[in-house]
Amino acid sequence: MRILDIAAKDIQQILRDWKSALFLLIMPVLFTIFFGLVFGPVTSGDRQRDPRLPIGLINQDPGGQLSDSLEELIGQSAVIRPIRLGQEAAERAVDRIEQGDLVAVVRIPVGYSQAVSAGQPISLEVITNQQTPSGRTALIALDTVTGRLFGAVESAHISVEAYQSRIGFDGDAARQTAFQEAFQRAVLAWGSPPLTVQVEQATGTPAPGGRGVISNGFTQSSAGMIVQFSVFGLITSAMLLVLERKNRCLQRLLTTPISRAEVIGGHLLAMFLVVFVQEALLIFLGQFAFGVNYLREPLAILIMMLALAFWAACLGLLIGALARKEDQVIVLCLGAMFFFSALGGAWFPLDVAGKAFSSIGHVLPSAWAMDGFQNIILRGMGFGSVLLPAGLLLVYALAFFGLALWRFSFE
Amino acid sequence: MPDGVAIRAQDLQKQFRAVSAVRGVSFEVRAGEIFSLLGPNGAGKSTTIAMLSCLLQPTQGDASVCGHSIRQSPQRVKACLGVVPQDIALYLDLSARENLEFWGKMYGLRGATLRQRVAEVLAIIGLTERQKDKVGTFSGGMQRRVNIGAALLHRPDVIIMDEPTVGIDPQSRRHILDNVKELNRQGMTVLYTTHYMEEAQELSHQIAIMDQGKIIVCGTHAELIRLVGERTRLDLTLHSEDDALVACWRSIAGVHSLSADHGRLTLLVDDSNLVLPRLFETAAQVGVRITSVTIEEPNLEAVFLHLTGKALRDAL
Repeated sequence: MRILDIAAKDIQQILRDWKSALFLLIMPVLFTIFFGLVFGPVTSGDRQRDPRLPIGLINQDPGGQLSDSLEELIGQSAVIRPIRLGQEAAERAVDRIEQGDLVAVVRIPVGYSQAVSAGQPISLEVITNQQTPSGRTALIALDTVTGRLFGAVESAHISVEAYQSRIGFDGDAARQTAFQEAFQRAVLAWGSPPLTVQVEQATGTPAPGGRGVISNGFTQSSAGMIVQFSVFGLITSAMLLVLERKNRCLQRLLTTPISRAEVIGGHLLAMFLVVFVQEALLIFLGQFAFGVNYLREPLAILIMMLALAFWAACLGLLIGALARKEDQVIVLCLGAMFFFSALGGAWFPLDVAGKAFSSIGHVLPSAWAMDGFQNIILRGMGFGSVLLPAGLLLVYALAFFGLALWRFSFE
Repeated sequence: MPDGVAIRAQDLQKQFRAVSAVRGVSFEVRAGEIFSLLGPNGAGKSTTIAMLSCLLQPTQGDASVCGHSIRQSPQRVKACLGVVPQDIALYLDLSARENLEFWGKMYGLRGATLRQRVAEVLAIIGLTERQKDKVGTFSGGMQRRVNIGAALLHRPDVIIMDEPTVGIDPQSRRHILDNVKELNRQGMTVLYTTHYMEEAQELSHQIAIMDQGKIIVCGTHAELIRLVGERTRLDLTLHSEDDALVACWRSIAGVHSLSADHGRLTLLVDDSNLVLPRLFETAAQVGVRITSVTIEEPNLEAVFLHLTGKALRDAL
């Protein structure tokens, strides 16, 4: 019970300090907006309406039945979105891939329809960067589309051959017409395949109310600022601990019938609750103001919130144990914030920073916190994807807690 | 309390690395007494009460408070003890009421009992009107009163006060000393540390004088004064000097010495209440007017000087 009393007193003091609102809410919101705009500007046009991966398409076999059908199948893909390119644009295709405008460029070669109909080997020309997840995804999607095309051609051939052997055609024109009909039916059949794989878009979702704000940048900045300010927001609560030691209240507590464990537990609980409520507010804003879809896996997000809050509280306790003066709290909190945020991927995705940097970053708990949140809001993964990040956060939390206990002094 | 003893310290010692802060302190405080530890800064008073408050573990020795050992039952000791630290150990951004409520909860008070005790303590310390103001806005004296109030909430059998009047105005000091007497009158045992001999003299049933980690003497005020055999000193100024009168005064019973210097006389006497009327009477008979009298009673300063060879105030 006394643990709750100490936690309630701490929270009362934190809420009474005007700096708390600044560090816990105002600054995180402002930084979320700022970084959101930096990483992923509010987009318009095709990308706003269609979040599929854009690929450039150059059809050098125009009018061919199969090449036209291939274009249709690409257009129906849930993963890639064709953008027709003229010859001039085709010459700058590689540049556009490097600039990120396109993830791939596909060229349908001359005579493609004829070669495929005749069963002769011919393949699409694809330019992409296979080192990127988007490039690899586009290649897989193109394989799927061409597989469907070849499947439709094959089934049309089988159908025609079967008719030929049982009834027979009146000439090549009738045979060609039958092939085209069979091919069309086969292509149409792909509209309702016997087996489908649901692909969830790993991007922001439109904000409710039709405000039409979609920003991939907010999926980075919202989660990033939650992680960053869970550390920076510790300033006021860690400061309380230092002041309590400095004004001898901490020592006076030990003259009452309360144990040292209860005192530490009370302060830890207050820090945990403050960070948790801060996370909840920022996630609420992220969901309903910035269109980041946290609530697609609410239980997973809750687990990440709890794990992050516990780790941050243990870090706050450690800072409160190490600092002897108020200015030391500020220095330690700022240092921790910069260190964990920059290296842990709170400011920019570790994916874009290269493998070595990403590996180094994942030594830090903040990187795992980012992974946990982004597995849900960016990568479209399920509940199971947060168990490892949350588990590792708890391990880090226990380590920090042990350090805090070791360094904690009541005098 | 067993055998009427509220606090019993037995050979308490505290060593901080190479420094011996307390070196074998033993004393007893009977229930209902005000017991003062008097001594200069660094004498070991605060370390002694830190051990009695279970803040520090003695290097050697033991003590009991309300019959509970500070080594074996610290939680029981804390439950029957109220501690007023030397520093203002309060939350300055909380109001007086919020502070008292918090410290009351730390002593296990809840609900209506807590509210009632907070109201009572606010009345005792005279801050009912300012209860909603933040402690940080209070004067030093008012903060000291809240500091004391926080230790009274659970009605402890024993209260330890560590120099509670340091650095405050005379009015607040008076208020605190009156509070201490009133609490004692209500039956509370008080262990009081101070380096102000006047406070120890005014408040205490028993006084222990500490120096360099040891109790050098312990007893009632009268016992301590008798110990050093000091006599009352009278300084008089005469309107005109009269050799016959001086000779007469030397022969008055109870006058041990007399020195005269141009109308200013210094006498050492056993009891000023008996001697002074005789001085005025004889002066009137020979027509000499006494223009000023200063009475300097024997005090603890003299005791400390006698036992340590240094003045108490010089040792601060």
